[in-house]
Amino acid sequence: MSRGPDGPAIVSRRGAIEKIHVGIGLRSPHASQIAVARPQLGFLEVHAENYMAESPAFDELLELRRDYPVSVHGVALSLGSAEELDRSHLDRLKALVDRVEPMLVSEHLAWSAIDGVYLNDLLPLPYTESSLDLFCRHVDQAQQELGRQLLIENPASYLRFRQSSISEPEFLSEIALRTGCGILCDVNNIYVSAWNFGFDPIAYLEALAIAPIGELHLAGHHAAEAVDILIDDHGSRVATPVWELYAVALKRFGPVPTVIEWDTNIPPLEILLDEAHHAQELAYEHRPVAAI
Amino acid sequence: MSTALSPLFELQLQLREAVLGGDAGDIVADILGEGIEPAARLGIYRNHALATLGDALRRIYPVVCRLVDERFFAYATHQYLRVRPPGSRCLNEYGSDFADFLATFPPCEGLPYLADIARLEWMLKSALTKRQPKPWRADILAAIPSGEAAYVALRLQPSLSYLASPWPIDAIWRANQSDEVPTVDPASGGVNLEIRRDGEAVLWRRLDLGTFVFRKSLADECMLAAALTAANLRDAAFDPTAALRDVFAEGLVVGVAVSLDQALEMTARDGQA
Repeated sequence: MSRGPDGPAIVSRRGAIEKIHVGIGLRSPHASQIAVARPQLGFLEVHAENYMAESPAFDELLELRRDYPVSVHGVALSLGSAEELDRSHLDRLKALVDRVEPMLVSEHLAWSAIDGVYLNDLLPLPYTESSLDLFCRHVDQAQQELGRQLLIENPASYLRFRQSSISEPEFLSEIALRTGCGILCDVNNIYVSAWNFGFDPIAYLEALAIAPIGELHLAGHHAAEAVDILIDDHGSRVATPVWELYAVALKRFGPVPTVIEWDTNIPPLEILLDEAHHAQELAYEHRPVAAI
Repeated sequence: MSTALSPLFELQLQLREAVLGGDAGDIVADILGEGIEPAARLGIYRNHALATLGDALRRIYPVVCRLVDERFFAYATHQYLRVRPPGSRCLNEYGSDFADFLATFPPCEGLPYLADIARLEWMLKSALTKRQPKPWRADILAAIPSGEAAYVALRLQPSLSYLASPWPIDAIWRANQSDEVPTVDPASGGVNLEIRRDGEAVLWRRLDLGTFVFRKSLADECMLAAALTAANLRDAAFDPTAALRDVFAEGLVVGVAVSLDQALEMTARDGQA
């Protein structure tokens, strides 16, 4: 049995008839229900690091893989670390990708480990010419080892460095230009960072190169208690202004595979499916003019 | 090109130290305020790291947390994070040596069984992440030529683990599953436990000394003959025939290796250990 997305067919900016692929992040509390109910979804996205060991969860993923395309989203390769990439982690990622044969593989414009210590967070980089060279070198190496294109996601940020001389969308676009990688545009992260630093989120979207965009992310956020900062916690429904920014992104980038992420306060699966359905409706509503 | 002394490397080391709760040092001067104190911006990352890593440990060690209370547990996990920050980039592998940390953490001296409770909870958590291969039947042993019998090794279910403690840790663990904690006398005697995944649950049971030594030896990849000998040496009442029958009858055996080369390799490794 094979089921896939059953959303509206539209015409992409490249002129081909295709369906909008909207997926959700697969989280362990939902895995059994999805395995039984097989809801209509464009694809499932998994965190690479949750499936790097042979386990019942990995077996379950392979079973779901028979019916759903899978996107592998890494959170710990630490492409921005000022040291060599972790050989064993890259090997584990490659082994996973070879087994799962995902539709997309993505990582982050960030670093999370240095000198043998892993911090379990996506930490910011100063955006300079030298950090750009370093990041591109690591993306080149990862793409060569994996034998496929990576998508690089813009992080949600809470601080910026005095040393930065390049804007984030320019930095990301330049990485794509130099390495041939794609861009995973996290719409919620743009909104959160824009709030935290006071820039225009639409101007950010407009500064991103269009061609490399290969995926969009949507998620919830909350306001910190003590300071005027938004926290990207993936713990609630997508906020209204983020849906509005998503509509702008769809107009600019066309029908790009989109994922609803939810990692804390995980709700019943039906809530995620409802969010995915809303994303699909918006994607249809804001389809390129040529399709109408 | 060596990047070990690059400014970015230095910046990342400083940020790491600050995120793990250490001295923020000069890093604050590199952060733009943009309407908010740089230290407050840094604090978002610090809070996230401490909260997510602390939560990961709290999920693995709920009874340890209950025994010491939430506030002390938060203090202990923070100290643990400072001394032993995550090395693996897979969060579900973090915390494996928390028991060793607790065993030498001075404020926990008054709870000598705490480290073994932590070891039990790590085994309970780990068992659920292991597969359950189809067990083998005992008649496979009949197919082994008698000349090779000395070189037989049994492979056990991956989810099995064995834990000996001088404390009644199973009773203490069970007592802490309900709101009203029944009294358990910590001095009421030690236990030899077998922990195993069973479907979506994890089971454990107490074993007599001979059976425990035999099965733990097999799980440690000793050859069958060596495991039987070890059990006999520790427990005069050990019944090797019944012990061998039971590991098959209980579905614990998932492979049999018969190879002189493998036996030599295993002997060498055992010797090193």
